[in-house]
Amino acid sequence: MDTSNPAVLVNGELLRMYVGRKVRTVIQVLQSNGGITTGKSTDEHQLVIKGSPPPFPLTNFVEVIGVADSNQSICAERWTNFGNTFDTFSYNQLCQLANGEYKSLFL
Amino acid sequence: MPVYLTPNAIAAINSGDANSKPLVQVLEIKLIGNSQDRYRLLLSDSVSTQHAMLATQLNDRVKSGRVQKGSIVQLIDYICSTVQNRKIIVVLNMETIIPDCEIIGNPKLLMQSDSTSQKSSSANKPEQPAIPDNRHLATTSCSNSAPKPGNKMPSFRPTVQPPYRPPPNYKNHGPIAKNDAPARIIPISALNPYQGRWAIKARVTAKGDLRRYNNAKGDGKVFSFDLLDSDGGEIRVTCFNAVVDRFYDAIEVGKVYLISKGNLKPAQKNFNHLKNEWEIFLESSSTVELCPDEDGSIPKQQFSFKPINEIESSENNSIIDVIGIVESVNPSVPILRKNGMETQRRILNLKDGSNRSVELTLWGELCNKQGRELQQMVESGVFPVLAVKAAKVNNFSGKSIGTISATQLFINPDCPEAYGLRDWFDRGGKNTASQSISRDIMPGCPRNEVRKTVSQIKDEGLGRADKPDWVTVKATVSFIKTDNFCYTACPLMIGDRQCSKKVTRSGNARWQCDRCTQEFEECDYRYLLQAQVQDHTGLTWVTAFQESGEEILGCSAKELYLLKYEEQDDVRFGEVIRRSLFSEYLFRLKIKEEMYGEEQRVKITVVKAEKLNYSAESRFLLDLISRITC
Repeated sequence: MDTSNPAVLVNGELLRMYVGRKVRTVIQVLQSNGGITTGKSTDEHQLVIKGSPPPFPLTNFVEVIGVADSNQSICAERWTNFGNTFDTFSYNQLCQLANGEYKSLFL
Repeated sequence: MPVYLTPNAIAAINSGDANSKPLVQVLEIKLIGNSQDRYRLLLSDSVSTQHAMLATQLNDRVKSGRVQKGSIVQLIDYICSTVQNRKIIVVLNMETIIPDCEIIGNPKLLMQSDSTSQKSSSANKPEQPAIPDNRHLATTSCSNSAPKPGNKMPSFRPTVQPPYRPPPNYKNHGPIAKNDAPARIIPISALNPYQGRWAIKARVTAKGDLRRYNNAKGDGKVFSFDLLDSDGGEIRVTCFNAVVDRFYDAIEVGKVYLISKGNLKPAQKNFNHLKNEWEIFLESSSTVELCPDEDGSIPKQQFSFKPINEIESSENNSIIDVIGIVESVNPSVPILRKNGMETQRRILNLKDGSNRSVELTLWGELCNKQGRELQQMVESGVFPVLAVKAAKVNNFSGKSIGTISATQLFINPDCPEAYGLRDWFDRGGKNTASQSISRDIMPGCPRNEVRKTVSQIKDEGLGRADKPDWVTVKATVSFIKTDNFCYTACPLMIGDRQCSKKVTRSGNARWQCDRCTQEFEECDYRYLLQAQVQDHTGLTWVTAFQESGEEILGCSAKELYLLKYEEQDDVRFGEVIRRSLFSEYLFRLKIKEEMYGEEQRVKITVVKAEKLNYSAESRFLLDLISRITC
């Protein structure tokens, strides 16, 4: 496992703290055309994902790993389909734990 | 004050007299019994003595000191019963004539055996006629009372002394006629096992379902109903087997009946919450008669409502009555019971003027009938008053209450408490926030669930106590034993359940069930699956039966049996097994140590296997983490 450049677990709110850093998040895809995909973060922020989507069709929920470009955009490096149902509540809680009290446990 | 005791009173009572209202002296008072106070007296007629039990409604007389050691009392209602070959007088009513008096005469303990008591009584009064008549024998009996020489001679005879007739010597006069006159109606509170003839008049307040059971003696059925009489006394009546057939249809809730000739036995306190130490068992000779002309002197139902804030400090498992406004009703959900049967559960919220609310869990049929009605009322904006008779307090999460088989629900009952509550609610109680004494349900985890790891089963010695331990373990199936994964089962139905006992081939190649004592062409196949499950802490063997076996393997035991033994398709059989391995489940386990020959072994049975729901499990873990933090 490559730990040299870890991706921080974020939601929409936390993204602003990691501009320029590598992050990972899950969005619900709203719209995808060409190099721009818009989606909703697990805490209901609208995010823009730049970079061309993968060759396979995206599912409703997608995990994106990439560099935080701004408060609300990420330049995607990797896309992973997370299926059509997803517990956004738990994921959002996870993001908060990973950036809060238990930060030391995460890369 | 000098006083005469009724001569030969003890002998007369022992011989069956119950009408002479004798004057006797109390020599001793002893508290016996452990469940409820009961007093045993030693009564004297100045010559003989006899033990007597005091009906519990007379306990007050002793407690208040109106009856004490030395008291001269007149017995008013009493009978003589034989208990374990000993005669004992049961005193149902009496009056204190002289509260405190020196011991009169030189009483001796009466011989217990029948013949000696007869002998001694006739020896004491040889001049008395043996045949009963109605002559007033006050003078003769007075002279009979001559105490032993040297004893202080009582010189005063009270006017209340009733006439005394010596008992007939039944033994010498052939069989006696049975007293066929209807037994007198007595209050329920006066019932006890020491009286033979009684009748009670009472209203049926609850009627239990007909239940079937199977034990070492075979199949049986049982039902119970609860009675309330005009004095507020309550008692449970239970019928078994043939007696069930006689009375089950006749008993209707709300009707008044005259009941006599039953057996009194100690109440089974774990099933019976009524305020009575006895329970009536009806027999084939018992009579139950409907009273069509009852006058309403017996209330329809007796409640003793507990405010919700007091439930907080109630003991676990105690049975209470509660009344409240239904704030919300959850939908009914199917629940697997410990015995593997499915039942319904519905949770609703009650609040009252104590500014507390409590969760009430309805079980079984109550979810459908009244549960649905309540849900519809609440959904349409009507918040009904609900009176709950006999609910059980439990500690599962905070304090909550649940229904038991005897529980009754009354929606918008016609009683002052209900009107008071409605008034409170309409005048603003509706808008007050009340604090719940039941903690919210943990997400993704049914209440009362105890989560353990595999290693905790051994480390904490689960299953070693008297009762089995019920725990939930999140684990992965790592190995399934493939020989003898199922057994041949009886397909016949007993009531609404399949028999499922193991069947064997009889001589003519048909299957035979010992329990049903029947034969059939085809048997059923049911899982008896041995498997290893493991989590991050360790590994253990478990046994899974039919339903959990199907959940783990994804097909019925019969399909799998046919695949292996009829089609002998080992490849596909192997696939089915492999497909089932390394899946994560939530296992509900029953853990109990059992003897296998000489060896003690902890047996772990899968009561329910559920494919892990990752979303629910995540919420469960998040909840655990939040508890660590605080």
